[in-house]
Amino acid sequence: MRVVIAEDNVLLSAGLELLLGTKGIDVAAVVIDHPGLVEAVDRHRPDALIVDVRLPPSFRDEGIRAALEIRRAHPGLPVLVLSQYVEKVYARELLSDGRGGVGYLLKDRVSRVSEFVDGLRRVAAGGTVMDPEVIAQLLAGGGTHAVDALTAREREVLTLMAQGMGNNDIGQRLFITDNAVHKHVGNIFSKLGLPPAEGGHRRVLAVLAYLDST
Amino acid sequence: MRERLQNLWRGGRYLLTGLPAAMATLLVPPLLTAAALSTGLGGLGLVLFPRAVGGLRWWAEWHRRRAAALLDRPVSPRPLDLGEGTLARWRQALRAPQTRRDLRWTLRNIVTGIPAGLAALACLGMPVYAVLAGPLWWVFPADAPLRLLGVVPVTGWGSAVAMVVVQGGGFAALAYWAVPRLAAFHANACLAALEPSEQDRLSERVGELTESRAGVLDAHGAELRRIERDLHDGTQARLVAIAMRLGVARESLPDDAGALADLLREAHEGAEEAMTELRDVIRTMYPPILADRGLPGALSALTARAGVPASLDLGELGRLPAAAEAAAYFIVAESLTNAAKHSGATEVRVRITRDGGRLLVEVTDDGIGGVDESRGTGVIGIRRRVAALDGIMIVTSPPGGPTSVSVELPCAS
Repeated sequence: MRVVIAEDNVLLSAGLELLLGTKGIDVAAVVIDHPGLVEAVDRHRPDALIVDVRLPPSFRDEGIRAALEIRRAHPGLPVLVLSQYVEKVYARELLSDGRGGVGYLLKDRVSRVSEFVDGLRRVAAGGTVMDPEVIAQLLAGGGTHAVDALTAREREVLTLMAQGMGNNDIGQRLFITDNAVHKHVGNIFSKLGLPPAEGGHRRVLAVLAYLDST
Repeated sequence: MRERLQNLWRGGRYLLTGLPAAMATLLVPPLLTAAALSTGLGGLGLVLFPRAVGGLRWWAEWHRRRAAALLDRPVSPRPLDLGEGTLARWRQALRAPQTRRDLRWTLRNIVTGIPAGLAALACLGMPVYAVLAGPLWWVFPADAPLRLLGVVPVTGWGSAVAMVVVQGGGFAALAYWAVPRLAAFHANACLAALEPSEQDRLSERVGELTESRAGVLDAHGAELRRIERDLHDGTQARLVAIAMRLGVARESLPDDAGALADLLREAHEGAEEAMTELRDVIRTMYPPILADRGLPGALSALTARAGVPASLDLGELGRLPAAAEAAAYFIVAESLTNAAKHSGATEVRVRITRDGGRLLVEVTDDGIGGVDESRGTGVIGIRRRVAALDGIMIVTSPPGGPTSVSVELPCAS
């Protein structure tokens, strides 16, 4: 897999390169801003982008805007956005095209190397990976009885699901059987009044869209 | 002795200069009136009158400095400029307490300055006259002789000497005693008329303090924003970089690393905790979303993740001081948290508008009301923020609801 990194902080881009290198992921280019990213995408045709939210020139939310713009030009091009804080509105903007292949994680998560790389691979494969903090904000923002009705376990499952994990991974994480996971997922969907969805990012999107709309 | 003579010299000079100046001050009232009346002449007075008031201010200031110099008193600076633009000058000319003081001084200077000047002229002139005229008594024609004190005719050397001694010496003694006192009296009267009263001084001080507080708060807000950036680019980034390397190190350890693995795990978890703590600190200090998207964007983010469905009604806000932005953000954040936690509301309306130099923040829910400020609700926190900015806050929360928090923050641009 080949990725392009947009990160202006050398300390972090060097760390990312090192980390991805140990997992056999090829970093085609490291760029520091939006125009650089556009050029690198055209030149290297990467499998995924890793984009920092704050980029030059104004160090505000250029990364989000760059990701959205590039995905308009290259629909479905997988983008993993990294930030030192997460906001539900950014997640909503990133998910707005409903295409999957989107990740939005706190930079903290990068240091859990295997999980991070798994997440990156899921994004590259068209999955949706949302930081647990985003899910916490979504659940807090629900304010409806449907969300209140979710058990603690179901919330855990939902949070892992939003990180793009399949039933198998979720089961391993929570030390429960696939069957149990399957039951929890079914409960989540029925409690939220959503039609049962097939696996993959579609079910994540369905849940996120539901939470975001309430 | 030497000092008294110096006082006599200074006082004399002060009063003798003041005499023509006081006479010129007689012209002030007619000139001001004429300037005001000239408004009828195609609006000439619109320009002339403020200038006349400004001129009077300079004239009074010159006297004030002279009086203060005589009394060896420090002079506090007074603004002499009426500002830019005709309108601003008019406002200054009519509203500033200084104008009132200047007019008061005009009257006082005429009433005290002319008599005091004339008295000084007499006291100092008489000895000179006696000394010069006495020895020349014989020049005066016999039918209009030189007279001692204007009464006793001087007709011989004896009476001439008497004149020099009595008239010259007497008035010199009088001048020696009276001139410094007269000068001090006049100078005091001038300063008293021009110095601001205690009330004026207080209100001017309040004005200055309000302005400097706004400046301090603005600098404080900008400083918080800068610190947020510095932490983001510096400490936070470094922590992430450290955690990344620790993560890579842990992954590359052989399975039987034992104590080393424990050490690395502890270090890694410590770094992660530090990142979480630092993020919380930054969020409570200056929310990054505020730096990234400004107040409108930050408020949308806030209402989007509120614990209650919240609608946002944003007016035209323009450029706001950083301190007001941060305060508005935290006020809305805490009000939303309160509404979600305590009110049982199903809907919250947030409304932010700007009315000139005031930012209005209103958060209304449809909950059960009955907010008790003394019981550790976030209302106290909001109050503190509002008070720091010299804002006004009204909370209405009758039992049964609804609760509304409305805050007015000064945000002079």
